[in-house]
Amino acid sequence: MTTPMIQLSGVRKSFGAVGVIQGVDIEVEDGEFSVFVGPSGCGKSTLLRMIAGLESIDGGDLILNGQRINDVPPDQRGIAMVFQSYALYPHMTVAQNIGFSLDLKKVPKAEIAKEVRRVSELLQLSDLLNRRPAELSGGQRQRVAIGRAIIKRPRVILFDEPLSNLDAALRVQMRAELQKLHQELRPTIVYVTHDQVEAMTMATRIVVLNKGRVEQWDTPIELYNNPVNTFVAGFIGSPRMNLVAGSIVGNASTQHFKANAGWMVSMDGRSLAGVVGQQVTLGIRPEDIRPVASASEADMQASIAIVERLGAETYLNVRNGEDTLLVRAQGDLAMKSGETVQLAMNHAAFHLFDQSNNVIAA
Amino acid sequence: MAGVNSPRQGAYTALAYVTLIVISIFCLLPFIWMALASVDSNAQLFLKWPDSWTFDNYIRVFAEENGVRWFANSLFTVLSATILVVIISGLGGYALSRSKAWWKQPFLYGILLIRVLPSTALLVPLYKILLTANNGMGALVRPWAGENYRAIMQMVGFIDGYLGLIIVLATGQLPLALWIMKVFFDGVPKDYEEAAILDGATLVQRIRRVLIPLALPGLAAAGLFAFMSAWGDFLLPLILLSSPELQTLPIGLFRAFLRINEIDYGLLAAIATIYLIPAVIAFSFARRFLVQTFSGGVKG
Repeated sequence: MTTPMIQLSGVRKSFGAVGVIQGVDIEVEDGEFSVFVGPSGCGKSTLLRMIAGLESIDGGDLILNGQRINDVPPDQRGIAMVFQSYALYPHMTVAQNIGFSLDLKKVPKAEIAKEVRRVSELLQLSDLLNRRPAELSGGQRQRVAIGRAIIKRPRVILFDEPLSNLDAALRVQMRAELQKLHQELRPTIVYVTHDQVEAMTMATRIVVLNKGRVEQWDTPIELYNNPVNTFVAGFIGSPRMNLVAGSIVGNASTQHFKANAGWMVSMDGRSLAGVVGQQVTLGIRPEDIRPVASASEADMQASIAIVERLGAETYLNVRNGEDTLLVRAQGDLAMKSGETVQLAMNHAAFHLFDQSNNVIAA
Repeated sequence: MAGVNSPRQGAYTALAYVTLIVISIFCLLPFIWMALASVDSNAQLFLKWPDSWTFDNYIRVFAEENGVRWFANSLFTVLSATILVVIISGLGGYALSRSKAWWKQPFLYGILLIRVLPSTALLVPLYKILLTANNGMGALVRPWAGENYRAIMQMVGFIDGYLGLIIVLATGQLPLALWIMKVFFDGVPKDYEEAAILDGATLVQRIRRVLIPLALPGLAAAGLFAFMSAWGDFLLPLILLSSPELQTLPIGLFRAFLRINEIDYGLLAAIATIYLIPAVIAFSFARRFLVQTFSGGVKG
């Protein structure tokens, strides 16, 4: 097995008495596109800045390519970073911005020009080299910021929420460009975002962070299919997974989930004899619930609170007692709020979590 | 209110314009008098059209009076003080912006107090301190200076010397300049410096290649205010300088006004006009930096 490009073991960081990073253990393979995702304040940006060397590390080891770099100055780590604000120097042209790091290293002018040309062709910036950042659009600034990072031929590129300043359409486009860039240059990328769609679409592996801890660390689809706890279950996937509080009822041979609101659904095909009588949380994704015509096919019946008709699919916000469920139905359904709807669930897609919010193995 | 084009609205607009025109004339009159009187062969206290046009008044400032010397003294002391202020406020403003020290706020309001207190009230203790410093400097210079003692002390003395005036002028302008630069650097995101750190810039390179260019508009504003305010300072040079060869323009103007024989309005107007020019030039020069847009590098 090859040594991982970045390895964090037991990494900690406190601001005063507040522990913002509370022991993180992860590895990022060479050439991997790793995404740190989590709600704001989860410590993902701090963790990124620790890898960059902009924040000190209070405990644990940060290992880059087999070498402990806790105390190596930022510029000697072979790491480049793209800032959320881009941080393009306003008094320099695009070419000067991109070539700045080489200029600091006293690389000959001709060579800088050659490298700037190489990078600007790659990023389609060739026509803009003499402009200043103020004269560029958001997407162009973003590309200059990336150019400034890749001209150094870094082993690792860090991205700190790079697309959050762009409008929705441009974000989709930049997402594709970033993936293309990753495929062409194959750098190791660590990318921080709070947007789980960005994480799902670009990552080879996602690290889900919450309150300075790693909640789960796996490929996007694995996180989607097998979230280890309710936090990951609720965070990954859009619209978010329905989480219903209830308990397991039944006997040694058959068990049902009984929601606190009163409705029941059978838990066939699972060996849940050990948890009968316990409080649990049932997770079911909106796409795993569908409206059906007859009560005989249905698992439950509910009244429709809100209908969102998007054309290709229809979101139904339904209520059963205290429980509100979101249903993502295929196609355009001409339903109205106030109506009663019969709902069938995909039993194979149930996620069950115990009282401490960890998944109960099937 | 009534419609946009109602007569009433028109009357309001007219009233506003008349008021503004009256105020403008009131503000401009002294300058008009000064400009006309300075080229009048027979200038009077009252505003009048020149009897005959002449540049004699200007020529006399430089030929008969010590105009060149006054001008050079003013320019030298005020420019030196301005440079001092720009350097110290640039470094200090950066430190005050980035520091999280507990004494930051008390310090900032403390230095503002210096600005608020009338300098006249502080003249006596200030003079006392400068006199002590001057004696100290004298003791340092005297052993080796020999017959050049007086000339050297005119350069480095604290009383009746350039150095003292420069330091006092700079001190007076520093509080405002520090505030300007502190607030300016507050608006300069740390991202620029961090990007430069990752690009491999040393501290000196970060200051020279990134921070100074970013801070130029702020430094220009701080320098401009320092220059104009120090240029207009009258009391400090009057108190601190006694040698005729150290006199600055405002003191020259003042002494010309005080002469016992009749007041020569043409000469006074000419000196005053010369006195105005550098301030106007400084303003038009720094204005470019003030309006220069420095947005776009950091979006947020």
